[in-house]
Amino acid sequence: MEPDLVVRQAVTVLSTVAVLVIVSVGLAVIFGVMRIINLAHGEFLMLGAYSVLVISRAGAPLWAGLMVAPVAVGLIGLAVERLVIRFLYGRLIATMLATWGLSLVLVQLVVMIFGPATQGVPTPLGSLRVGGYRISEYSLALIGFAIGLLVATYSLFTRTRYGLLARAASQNPLMAQALGVNTGRTNAATFALGAALAGLAGAMLAPVVGVVPSMGQAFIARAFMTVIVGGPAVLTGMGSAAALLGGAESLVSQASTAFLGQAALLLLAVILLRIMPQGLSGSWGRRL
Amino acid sequence: MTRLPRSAPVPLAATGLALASLAFLVEDVWLVKFSSWLIFGTLALSLAFIWGRGGIFSFGQNAFFGIGAYLYGIAAINLVHSTGETVTAFLIGGLGGALMALILGYFMFYGRLGDVYVAIITLAVTLVLFTVMAGTAGPQYRVGEARLGGYNGMTGIPPIVVGIPFQGDGIRLTPQTMYLFVVVMAVTLFAAVSRLSQQPFGRVVIAVRENELRTELLGYDIRRYKLLAFTFGGAIAGLAGSAFAAWGLFVNPAVFGLRQAALVVIWLLVGGQASLIGPFLGAALVEWISSTLAGGVGGDETPIILGITLVLVVLLLPHGLAGLLRLMWERLTRSTRRAPRVPEGKPGETSPASQKIPSAILTQLLQNARTDAATLEVRGLAKSFGGVQALDDVTLSFPARGIRCLIGPNGAGKSTFFNLLIGRFPPSRGRIYLEGRDITRLHPHRRAQQGIGIKLQVPSLYPGLSVRENVWLASFAVSRNVPDANRRTEEMLGGTGLAHRADELAANLSHGEQQWLEITMVLAAAPRVILLDEPSAGMTREETLRTADIVRGLGEVASVIVVEHDMEFVRHLGAPITMFHQGRIFVEGTLEELRRDQRVLDVYLGRERARRVAVE
Repeated sequence: MEPDLVVRQAVTVLSTVAVLVIVSVGLAVIFGVMRIINLAHGEFLMLGAYSVLVISRAGAPLWAGLMVAPVAVGLIGLAVERLVIRFLYGRLIATMLATWGLSLVLVQLVVMIFGPATQGVPTPLGSLRVGGYRISEYSLALIGFAIGLLVATYSLFTRTRYGLLARAASQNPLMAQALGVNTGRTNAATFALGAALAGLAGAMLAPVVGVVPSMGQAFIARAFMTVIVGGPAVLTGMGSAAALLGGAESLVSQASTAFLGQAALLLLAVILLRIMPQGLSGSWGRRL
Repeated sequence: MTRLPRSAPVPLAATGLALASLAFLVEDVWLVKFSSWLIFGTLALSLAFIWGRGGIFSFGQNAFFGIGAYLYGIAAINLVHSTGETVTAFLIGGLGGALMALILGYFMFYGRLGDVYVAIITLAVTLVLFTVMAGTAGPQYRVGEARLGGYNGMTGIPPIVVGIPFQGDGIRLTPQTMYLFVVVMAVTLFAAVSRLSQQPFGRVVIAVRENELRTELLGYDIRRYKLLAFTFGGAIAGLAGSAFAAWGLFVNPAVFGLRQAALVVIWLLVGGQASLIGPFLGAALVEWISSTLAGGVGGDETPIILGITLVLVVLLLPHGLAGLLRLMWERLTRSTRRAPRVPEGKPGETSPASQKIPSAILTQLLQNARTDAATLEVRGLAKSFGGVQALDDVTLSFPARGIRCLIGPNGAGKSTFFNLLIGRFPPSRGRIYLEGRDITRLHPHRRAQQGIGIKLQVPSLYPGLSVRENVWLASFAVSRNVPDANRRTEEMLGGTGLAHRADELAANLSHGEQQWLEITMVLAAAPRVILLDEPSAGMTREETLRTADIVRGLGEVASVIVVEHDMEFVRHLGAPITMFHQGRIFVEGTLEELRRDQRVLDVYLGRERARRVAVE
């Protein structure tokens, strides 16, 4: 194979992996750290994308959208946690159903406000010439975003006081309370953080995917699969799972169609879980 | 369980007849509506079975429903001209739903995925099916004469045509006769589900929901039970899907959509899961309200109403509308009826172990059930977790009859040893032999069938089932024969003094009684090797001594291995002792020998380290 083709292929595979990481980080925080199945994750992502849409319609540059989206969606997440989720801790199926109801409402509200049609946000940056191919600079930026997100989230949970409290509050709430941790506030903060990460993900993806009210659905199944296959080490495991699943998806979709790529991802995930029920990181003995 | 009220066939038949008679009293417009409610109710019934009974939450019922609908469409369009009927197609839809559930369930349950993962995988599969079917718009996507039609769906599906295959054209159902067909389907499936719940299979499925670990340790293959239950649920949903396609003469990918998936759960939550009528009531109520208020599914506000309903039901009505009504009914009737569920008195006083139970009866019971004792042998058994060597090179043999006590400080490896014996996880090295047969790689349920029974440290029971049902499940695990299991249950209840509390929920027993119930269950399963992990924990002194008497009796017919911290209990057993320390066998001998051993005292008092430092 020509070297320029190899580079292009590698960038395609890596950017698929990057997208998977970006959409899964927020879920890894909410599901992995808090053990809450947030079925509205896709809709948080969608709201992030619409934030960028609104901002760019107002004439502001993309980076402004990248700043506003996580804050806006994080606040929505905070409200959701205070109004609904906090009454349901420890009731797994109940949180799942409630966030599901929420996702139906959010999609329909956005349809009523912005209409059901797909809308675009212009892709920033230009493209690079590698041999006979052009590579979009934004897809390289996405790879950078993914790495940055993973590192930043990992550091947040391992290096900060909040990170320690958040892990304590979710692993053993009673003990954490006995030690004086305000678990209610910590949980609210973690849920808001997960929502903000989803919003940021939506903002990052807005320029490369169509912004449409139902876009959350397109990502939620893949994000959940990535987090589950990742296993107990929620961030590093998720990153590895994204590499594996994203790699498979990208290779299969290049060889056939995008749809078969997604089917390959699902199939590989189910097979991996059959072989390693604890997920990829099941035997790593780590929790992040 | 043996005295559970049977599902009454007379009221069911009467309800069926009443529903059927509507066909001659009501206009066709209403019959068409009623048909759809019954179809949706049947779909919700499938979820009520696998979630309510089996404890498996699945988003996949829609997937099986949709597959049933599409398969009916494909089969009916292609077959109706040659066979002259579509009942075959109707059944193919059900078969398709079952097959899909079987394949999906195999990966999920044999991979031992947790509940959360099952929910998410079924959701993912449903969403992927939505994408697949929406992407089949082109004319190349056809099966025989049936065009899949992509997002717009498959049209021209024939109605149900009843007839004998290849014997000319059958009877095409009108709205009126289609309604009757749906009534027959719903009543039949309802009867099948409620009958199954009475059968041993249904009882074990409920047991799996209540306590997977205990069910497995009694010798049931929980993977298989879950898979079969899931497949049965898939078949019901598939048949409902067939009926749906035949009812609407049309099917589109929306059956795989999130909105439809949400609806099924809402029907069930509103109707409540406690009874099997709930799903039908919920479906009819929700559909009736949404068709009168919001102009039917498809209105703009419908998803918002659905979503808010879902959130509110979860927040405010955890047991559904039916649960709320039952609660109100109970409040109303409480003032007139007085029925204390939890008996008065201190827990210790009612504990059966404190009553005079001749251990000879128990020994006799055990002997009746199984005459062949078995030796247990482990060679070089080792287990490490990450870097921790929990058990290291343990070689021990246990005679076919007799007692052995295992002692040692916390973390000595006793629990790991038990867990390796019952197969909760595989050893890192070493072999386990039961009566000379290598069982090192057998699944826990296979070992239980071979005769290894365990009472866990924390009582592991079925809290939501009655004492009798608890013991029945243990008895049935061995005999797999209902009359035998019934007889043995009553024998065990009588023999262990639990008979007077047989209809009490296990959750309502005192801690000592729960311990005792678990021991009874272990014995009901007639094990050849009995593992007891701290049997006297939580018992009074008198109960402890009586339990020791009974364990001594058991030692005459089986191999009993006891982990215990209570030295009074150990002394009372008078059995040889093996002491574990840091994952290894530290010393063996009688209690007296161990008491004289300075090293043993050092370990228990933590002096070892101090002394080593002093020597250096």
